[in-house]
Amino acid sequence: MAEMEKLSLVAKALTPSPIQQLSYLAQRYNAINLAEGFPDFPAPPHIKNAAVSAINSDFNQYRHVQGICDHVARKMKEMHGLDVDPLTDIVICCGQSEAFAATMFAIVDQGDEVIIFDPSYETYETCIRLAGGVPVHVALEPPNWTLNLDKLKKSFTVKTKAIVLNSPHNPTGKVFTKDELEIIAGACQTWNILAITDEVYEHITFDKESHISLASLPEMQKRTIVTSSLSKTFSVTGWRIGWAIAPAWIASAVRNIHIRITDSAPAPFQEAALTALSSPPAYFDSLRSDYESKRDCAVNMLAEVGFKMQFKPKGSFFVFAPLPENCTLSDVEFVEELIKQAGVVAVPGCGFFHTTLCEENSSPAALSYQRRYIRFAFCKSEDTLAAASRKLSKLVDDGRGIK
Amino acid sequence: MASSISTAVPAPQQAAVSTQDELTQKIPTQPLQVTKRLEKFKTTIFTQMSSLAIKHGAINLGQGFPNFDGPDFVKEAAIQAIRDGKNQYARGYGVPNLNSAVAERFKKDTGLVVDPEKEVTVTSGCTEAIAATMLGLINPGDEVILFAPFYDSYEATLSMAGAKIKCITLRPPDFSIPIDELKSVVSKNTRAILMNTPHNPTGKMFTQEELNAIASLCIENDLLVFSDEVYDKLAFEMDHISIASLPGMYERTVTMNSLGKTFSLTGWKIGWAIAPPHLTWGVRQAHSFLTFATSTPMQFAAATALRAPDSYYEELRRDYMAKKNILVEGLNSVGFTVFPSSGTYFVVVDHTTFGLENDVAFCEYLIKEVGVVAIPTSVFYLNPEEGKNLVRFTFCKDEETLKSAVERMKQKLSKK
Repeated sequence: MAEMEKLSLVAKALTPSPIQQLSYLAQRYNAINLAEGFPDFPAPPHIKNAAVSAINSDFNQYRHVQGICDHVARKMKEMHGLDVDPLTDIVICCGQSEAFAATMFAIVDQGDEVIIFDPSYETYETCIRLAGGVPVHVALEPPNWTLNLDKLKKSFTVKTKAIVLNSPHNPTGKVFTKDELEIIAGACQTWNILAITDEVYEHITFDKESHISLASLPEMQKRTIVTSSLSKTFSVTGWRIGWAIAPAWIASAVRNIHIRITDSAPAPFQEAALTALSSPPAYFDSLRSDYESKRDCAVNMLAEVGFKMQFKPKGSFFVFAPLPENCTLSDVEFVEELIKQAGVVAVPGCGFFHTTLCEENSSPAALSYQRRYIRFAFCKSEDTLAAASRKLSKLVDDGRGIK
Repeated sequence: MASSISTAVPAPQQAAVSTQDELTQKIPTQPLQVTKRLEKFKTTIFTQMSSLAIKHGAINLGQGFPNFDGPDFVKEAAIQAIRDGKNQYARGYGVPNLNSAVAERFKKDTGLVVDPEKEVTVTSGCTEAIAATMLGLINPGDEVILFAPFYDSYEATLSMAGAKIKCITLRPPDFSIPIDELKSVVSKNTRAILMNTPHNPTGKMFTQEELNAIASLCIENDLLVFSDEVYDKLAFEMDHISIASLPGMYERTVTMNSLGKTFSLTGWKIGWAIAPPHLTWGVRQAHSFLTFATSTPMQFAAATALRAPDSYYEELRRDYMAKKNILVEGLNSVGFTVFPSSGTYFVVVDHTTFGLENDVAFCEYLIKEVGVVAIPTSVFYLNPEEGKNLVRFTFCKDEETLKSAVERMKQKLSKK
């Protein structure tokens, strides 16, 4: 078709997500939404008030709020012991999304390979391709999503430019351990590559697990770009305030790209970010404990419906649940049934997996686990989770279960 | 940044490391570096001039944003949206209400009926609309025609998309389009023409004749048009015409616009792209990976803004025309050669009568000795030499500020 010729090669290669269809189905059945990765409860009042106040005080033109950089630098010191220069090392962007995209454009040249752990949030791969790079997927091994050093090493070639690390991890809820980070750091140094981290769930960890930033490992700060945002920590995913932290020579490149992509993050929300980032420790403590009880609720709810919750999430607000062994449905089929029979919607895991993995055994049998996982989000109010729990219990009580 | 490289550096390998112990294996000896695409793009001139301005307490007529704020009814709509809890991810291509408002406004302005669901994409400002359009619709090696002088992000984003730029220079005094020259640069590799009307920095507005000529060329050669129309409501000397409304053009045009200039809320970053479904699809793909979604409360407020009555737009034009008169009279009386500006809130002048060697030198002199900021236009050309006689002033400032700036120039600017 002549029209399609007008699209770029990259755009043509992308296909609409199967999640779209499920969204429509969910709407038709008025299903409880445990699919979407954003809260259905209100954002904290003190932060909303700060935004309102900013709009009223005329903070509405293009601006760069340097105070955000000061706060972010302070937090990197407090949490990770890192010295970051707020004047040169931090770039404020429209969400972590833009920080990541700008970073890719800043460091990926045509043909550069970038390693991503599988399963992964689908956007990383596409950003890499948009920048002309080649994504290389390294599988984390179920059921506990462990890092396999051999697989990692086999993925490196002369063309490897960088590695992407998302921890706490979407969709599995894994929090990479110190040992795993040391392995990754070692590989980065050996192969002299850059690391880009996505740490948006940095404040949502459980069971006294701490989030460790890869940048805080020895020799890593100088080769790591840390990306994060306000969105998940402050329940304002729609405000689009994020940042990239990197050594000055990389940060200035990211900044130059960001300025050409969007020029500025929304001004009033930058102002409100100052209030958010000054929240006292008590805010972060209660964020963690609230989400921990939601996690427990979600895990229990799923266990009652027959999921074997061998791996409990240690961070993020997702549970990545394996289908019960006796279930013959695929992940997509299961989610359809869940919508129709229980009125609850979740995300089939297949969208997060990739079949072209960097390893020898990529047979259909070896990859069958990729159709066996469902992602449930528990960033929902207690009422929502309770309602979901009731609906799922009813499914079990009715003796139906989902086969 | 040196890592430990073993003394025996083998030739570049195709296969990866095979044993656990070979941690000091080969590495390509390139130092880590940022991409080649960035070599040309350093800090922008705006940042440099702004810093210099602050140091010298200069009045800033360089930056293209107002020093007055947007209308209360729009700000209140944003506040209401925040209070109503509209703080989570919006639908990627726009809040439905805003998409509809954009389509309604477009119909009022151009007579074209577009489907808000399939033909409107909301972005983080027009800047992002431009970036998403380039990345979604241009392949590396495609030729794109640009008119110089141009808004500086065009060159950068075209370069990010790997496009080859073919540049046509618009020249004073009226910056009209040299149609024959334009025809001569079209080749079989030409994919699109990128245009901006009303035009930053010159204030030129493309005439019906010029648009007709561009349209014929596009239809004949099956080209796309990317049209940046952010200043469409700041049209003073003639009516703004969207090229998408010409016969045969809608199907090949991406029309881009934003809230910021029209409603003096440049920091809210609400923009949009309007295009037929097959082109919109490409724009949306790129957009979803550049920023994923646009700020939610501001989108709700933008929908309210775009439904403002005609009186809002009339008053906007009247206010800006009064400001323009203050500035233009002042610049004329001081001795600049002022070129006619039909639209936008910019005016371009020839500074050479003051004896400085080029535009950057003149702007530095203006800041340090006179206390006023203008932007050197050489940064808006592929070949900076072409812009060295011109500087750009903006009049999107309150009247007091404009009068003070004019006063300073009258007192301190001397011809050589």
